[in-house]
Formats: sequence, structure tokens, C-alpha cells
Amino acid sequence: MDLFITVALVVTIALVFDFTNGFHDTANAMATSVATGALKPRVAVLISAILNLVGAFLSTEVAKTISQGIIKEGDGGVQITPTMIFAGLTGAVLWNLGTWYLGLPSSSTHALFGGLIGAAVIGAGVGSVDFAVVLSKVVFPALLSPLVAGTVALVATYAAYRITRQARTRGADAGFRHGQTVSASLVSLAHGTNDAQKTMGVITLTLVAAGYQSSDSGPQFWVIAACGLAIALGTYLGGWRIMRTVGKRITDVQPPQGFAAESSAAATILISSHLGFALSTTQVTSGAVVGSGLGKRLAQVHWKVVGRIAIAWVLTLPAAALVGGLAALLASTSTLGLAAVAVLALAGGLTLYFLARRHPISHHNVNDVPADEGVAEKVGA
Amino acid sequence: MEGIDWGAFALVFGIALVAGAGIVSFYSLGLRLLAVGSPDDTGPEDARQSSARGQRPLAASVGGFVCLGIGIAGVLYGLYLIIPQFHS
Repeated sequence: MDLFITVALVVTIALVFDFTNGFHDTANAMATSVATGALKPRVAVLISAILNLVGAFLSTEVAKTISQGIIKEGDGGVQITPTMIFAGLTGAVLWNLGTWYLGLPSSSTHALFGGLIGAAVIGAGVGSVDFAVVLSKVVFPALLSPLVAGTVALVATYAAYRITRQARTRGADAGFRHGQTVSASLVSLAHGTNDAQKTMGVITLTLVAAGYQSSDSGPQFWVIAACGLAIALGTYLGGWRIMRTVGKRITDVQPPQGFAAESSAAATILISSHLGFALSTTQVTSGAVVGSGLGKRLAQVHWKVVGRIAIAWVLTLPAAALVGGLAALLASTSTLGLAAVAVLALAGGLTLYFLARRHPISHHNVNDVPADEGVAEKVGA
Repeated sequence: MEGIDWGAFALVFGIALVAGAGIVSFYSLGLRLLAVGSPDDTGPEDARQSSARGQRPLAASVGGFVCLGIGIAGVLYGLYLIIPQFHS
């Protein structure tokens, strides 16, 4: 019975994580489209939600390789327990909610890995984590992906403006908006095929660990459907706070920039995952937006905002690991400890939700940047 | 920093640069060619479209649509890469 409760809790929090993943990452694909007016905010999140749902059903390749060797499993390694997975997910969810409250785009994948690493260190010792793999698969790509996407977007933006005489040729503006809609949709679909998979992988890992499923089988249908729906719902409800940051506060994105940024992001994401060097969608798109700001003459890039985002990226993994570790410490004591973690996580989540309600950002005001803030940052920059 | 595949990284960077900047350039060139013969819009930003549409030479039309076609081909290849059923 204890095992069943644990598994039920893991599945629940995994779906909650999937949901926060969705609304955190709506901004990746759709922030620039919303900012330039290429798509109405509600339409943008609806398209993104549908494409994420479709993406979830397209492939289960990523789901099969979820832990990616970061945590040493199998012979001579550690036995991952459902409790550790639960603790790890708690850390990831709380970090996602915290960065959402602050309107910072940060990688949900890193939060997930961070949480699991923290839980594994507490639950099974430092030796259970392969830090060389963490470095080469998480830290190093995190440093490089914004640089790659940013450079590509910079060149693309410069070319787009140059070729269309600063977007003044007849119909260029509308043309870029249409192009942007298409490339942003590609980013959404690619996101669905990647991110929903991670939650499917986690749930499947749990079912295997609990002995409810044999280890060589893939995700079951109800797992795929539930994960697809959770990420789609999260995407539809939209992380408007993060969208404002990406679409308006890094730089005020115009149609040629939006098109160049999303196309560069789509190209970078697709090529990197095709070559087996998968990069974070969040970091690629944020980098591309900065690049599109640098590629346009006289455009303002608000480095203060970029700096805050960079700090959040550096902190994502250790912070989620810390929360995951503490959660593992408490949850592994007893079923009561496990319940306590669930209650504390719920309380933390609700606190952030109500804090956010005090300064709501929704599809009504996603493109309004408070005047004082913009001025202050221009002086600072 | 062992275990980092610099070659793979350089490859990703190179191809992404060519593909990303290339597709954006071709699409922009298509827009430019399709606007040949028409006066420019009044401003670089927002939708301020000029009213008149001028005569466009055939060569510009053909070139313009070829360039847009390259953009569309890029999107289709992207879909091919995303959907595993197409290439497994």
C-alpha cells in the first residue's frame, strides 16, 4: 500500500511538473509572435498547445533515455527509488514556479536534472552522480547554446534588414509576420516531441522501479496521453510573465527580428537534436532573441535583463538540486515524511501563485512594459 | 573538460548558421523581389503599407517565388526531422 501511495504521488507531481514545463516554455515559441502582433495572444497559445500535444504522440525516443547516464544505474550503480524521483520532481516544480514568478525563462530540463541529482546525492551518496556527464551534457551545452543561437540570429537579422531595405519594401512587414508564425510553430512542435517525453520517461522509470511494468517496455498509452494533455494545458494557460520578458524586455522584438530569431532557433534545435547534441529550447530561443536585438541597427538590448536570466540559468541546476535533496532527506524517513514534502510543496506552489496574483500578467497586458522600468534600463544600458 | 565533443559542436554551429541565416536570407530576398516595382512602405516598423502596387517584371516574380519556395522546403525538411515516422 505504501508503494502504491508513493507511485501515485510521483505520477501526480510528474504531471504537475509537465504542466509547469508547458507554461514555462510557451514563451520559447510564442513570445516573439505575441510581441510583434503576428498572432493574437490567445491564438498563439492555442496553436502552441495543440502542437505540443501532437508532438507528445509523435515520438517516444527521448522518453527511453531520460536519465541519460547522469545517475549511475544498473550493475554497480544505485537503485533509483520512487521516493527519490518524487523528491527530485518537487525540486524541479518549485524552481519552475519561482522563475515563473520572476518572469525568467529557465530550462525545465535543467530543473528536472537538478532535482533528480540532488535527490540521488542525498538518497544514494555523491558517488551516484556522474559529474563528468553532468558537465558535458548539461553545463557545457548550457553555456554554448545561447551563443550558437545568438550568433545565427544576429547574422540572420542583419541579413533580413539589409535585404529588405530595413523592412521597408512593400509587404515585407506582413511577410515577416507570416514567416514567423510558421517558424514559431516548428519550435512548438519540436518542443512537444522533446519535453513531454521527459515526463513520460520519469513516470515510466517510476512504474518500472515499483515493479508495475517490465524494464524493457516503453511508456504506456495512458502515460503518453496524460503527459501530452498536461503539457498542452500548461502551454495553453500560458506563462505570460515569461513571455513579456522574452518578447518585450530583452529587446522590443519587431517582425524581421522575430522571424530571424524563431527561424534560427528552429534550425539550431532541429540540427542539434538530429546530430545527437540536444540543446535546451529555452536557452536557444533566449539566445536567439538577444542575437536578433544585436543584429538590428540601433536596437536596444537590455543587458540587465539578460544578466538576470543568465544568473537564473547558472542557479537552475544547483537550486533545484538543493530543494530535491532536502525533499529526499525528509521524504525518505517515512510515509509521513513523504506526505509532509507533498504538503510543503503544495504550500510553496500556492504561495507563489498568490504572490503572482498581486501583479497579474495575462494575455491582456502581456505586451505592456511599465514605462518607468523601460526608461531606467535604457539609462543603465 | 574531457568528454566534450568539440567536433560535434562545431558541426552543429556551422550547419545551424548556414541553414538558419540561409533560409532567412532567401525568404527576405523573396519578399524583396516580389516588391520590385512597388514603392517602399513608409516606415520600417509597424504595418504602414504603401497604397500603390507597381508593375513587376516576370523575372522578379519567378525569382521571388523560387526564394519563398526555398523557405518552404526548409520548413518541410524541418518537419521531416521532427517526425520520426518519416525517417525511421
